[in-house]
Amino acid sequence: MEAIEKKLREEAKKLLEEKKVDVIVGYEAGTLPLTAAPAFVTDPSDTTKLVWNALCVQNLAKYVHDVVSQHRNAQKRVKPENRTKKVVGVVGRGCTTRSIILHLQERQYTREEIVVLGVPCRGYVDKKKLSVLLEGQEIVHGALDGERLKVTTAAGDRIVAVADVLADNCLICRFNNPVISDLMAGEPAPAMRSDEEYDAVKAFESRPSEERWAYFEKEMAKCIRCYACRQACPSCYCPECFAEQSRPRWVGIGEDASDTQVFQIMRIFHMAGRCVDCGSCVAVCPMGVDLRTFLKKLDKDAYELFGSRVGASLDDPPVLSTYREHECEDFIYNP
Amino acid sequence: MEKRLVKKDELLRIVKKVGAEFNVFAPVRVEDNVLFKSLAPGEEPLLTFANTKNAPKGVFFPRTEVMIRYVRTPKGTVLKGVELEARDAVLFGVRPCDARSFVLLDLLFDQDKYKDPYYVAKREKATVVTLACTPVPYTACFCTSVGGGPVDGTGSDVLVTDIGDAYLVEFLTPKGERLVKYFGEAKATAEAENKKETAAKEAIEQIKSVIPAREVKPILDVSFDHPFWDTIHKRCLACGTCTYLCPTCHCFDISDEMKYDDGRRLRNWDSCMFPLFTKETSGHNPRPTQKERWRQRVMHKFKYYVDNFNAVACVGCGRCVMYCPVNIDIRKIVEDISKLQQ
Repeated sequence: MEAIEKKLREEAKKLLEEKKVDVIVGYEAGTLPLTAAPAFVTDPSDTTKLVWNALCVQNLAKYVHDVVSQHRNAQKRVKPENRTKKVVGVVGRGCTTRSIILHLQERQYTREEIVVLGVPCRGYVDKKKLSVLLEGQEIVHGALDGERLKVTTAAGDRIVAVADVLADNCLICRFNNPVISDLMAGEPAPAMRSDEEYDAVKAFESRPSEERWAYFEKEMAKCIRCYACRQACPSCYCPECFAEQSRPRWVGIGEDASDTQVFQIMRIFHMAGRCVDCGSCVAVCPMGVDLRTFLKKLDKDAYELFGSRVGASLDDPPVLSTYREHECEDFIYNP
Repeated sequence: MEKRLVKKDELLRIVKKVGAEFNVFAPVRVEDNVLFKSLAPGEEPLLTFANTKNAPKGVFFPRTEVMIRYVRTPKGTVLKGVELEARDAVLFGVRPCDARSFVLLDLLFDQDKYKDPYYVAKREKATVVTLACTPVPYTACFCTSVGGGPVDGTGSDVLVTDIGDAYLVEFLTPKGERLVKYFGEAKATAEAENKKETAAKEAIEQIKSVIPAREVKPILDVSFDHPFWDTIHKRCLACGTCTYLCPTCHCFDISDEMKYDDGRRLRNWDSCMFPLFTKETSGHNPRPTQKERWRQRVMHKFKYYVDNFNAVACVGCGRCVMYCPVNIDIRKIVEDISKLQQ
């Protein structure tokens, strides 16, 4: 990992010095033990703070979209002849690059506006799994030592294997190496257990509908409508979300259970064929709502019905924005 | 002031007894979360916990609250009622920081000039039983920097302190003294009070996070246009985690909901982090980007509230620090502001 980090910093520095990018979106160490946070580096000398390790959670494509669209909006107030282009460099692991492909296919920005600093990924630590393993004890000190976490809690010191606390989506990840990249920092990472990708969804599907609905209701009852899931999601980039439209108001903003369910169902369905399973929505949720089971079901459907995996290649269009003559139509003719 | 000594294994039974007569709110484990909520019949409150994920402010200032109901008739809209009923409630196991938040919220919702009837009705009927922080629950705790303390009784009617072999129970207000009868007959001894003093001192020493919360006010007074505000918001997701979990955040939004001819006016939590916050009917938003929204959040807590009420609107519970999904740390922000060059 250290070698990858070193290479990443060198390449980032070079890109900024040669003015090939205006900003690098990456990760830096957080203020709490065992955390990393998104970072925006514009000064070449600041590239030393960039990190790449198993604590880097967020899908950074969300920020690429933010930076580009904010810049474009600001340019609207500039005379056409004085307008500039902003180039964003981004530290891209597999899922991040899949989201970037989706953005490119959905024409959110152009390939020339981004430079992808590819990094191999072995998965990230699920903070909630770690917390459960530590029986809820607060982490007072922590250090990442290769494949192990050295953790100090009130109960004493402990060594935890990173492999034991990887996020569920990372364990079965099919795309843990960048799908597109302009530069690669390090050799490709070994494959994860992608043959088990849909095992959990299949188990969920096999349960009776009452049980599935009860599970959905139970999970959604935890939601406090902070919208962290939507905000963290690279595929959720509508300038105005239906949940915030007021003329008409599609969904109430209060804690009524049906409003929360409608919000989440709508968001989940907007992810049909567009979810890259980066796990960001689950990682940011302060209440631990299981959104992934439902999102993964739609992902499975998109693959099984249309043979499409979002962001698998630039040439493979997103499933809901294309039509092929012989694709699945059973749901229309024999619902 | 009445003081009692309660055996360790007695406390749970006492809470249950109180629960038979009052609507008790307490920390409860719900799956992986510890939540501050109304105790359902048969539900066990937690006595050993760090702090609840949600702040107890929701008891007085719910996330959603019906203000009025009305009905649409051919002759116009007719008011059906104002909802102001509140039940006698006991809030058990509040942490001292969160108890202090009630005093800060009172400054706004229960002023001499303006009284919020919905808040005041619930607040007046509630007795706050605080469980002191011995030991201090989190490394992110910084209550001592904002005027509180791990064994501080501000905002509490009853203060319960774990002194090792027993709980020392202090009844701080007349409201609190109504509960004395539930806590047995054993009067507090001088030895127990000494133990409490020692535990309090130890707890204060355990707090390692210190921020210049009061000191930044004169700097903020002249820093509205400072370039510093360009540096903190970039990674912010614009979610409401910090404000929704915060014990002192109290911005709200009022909306009407109709079902056929029946209408209700609701007050819902709002968040300065949301793009819709302060958006005007015209479409104009005086806080168009996350930069202005972050400035509002910091200014509201460390300047405006000081201007209006001479109090910092932060109790140092550490929730926003621990649960921000992208690690925006208010402690670092305040620290950085204190070092700003004008």
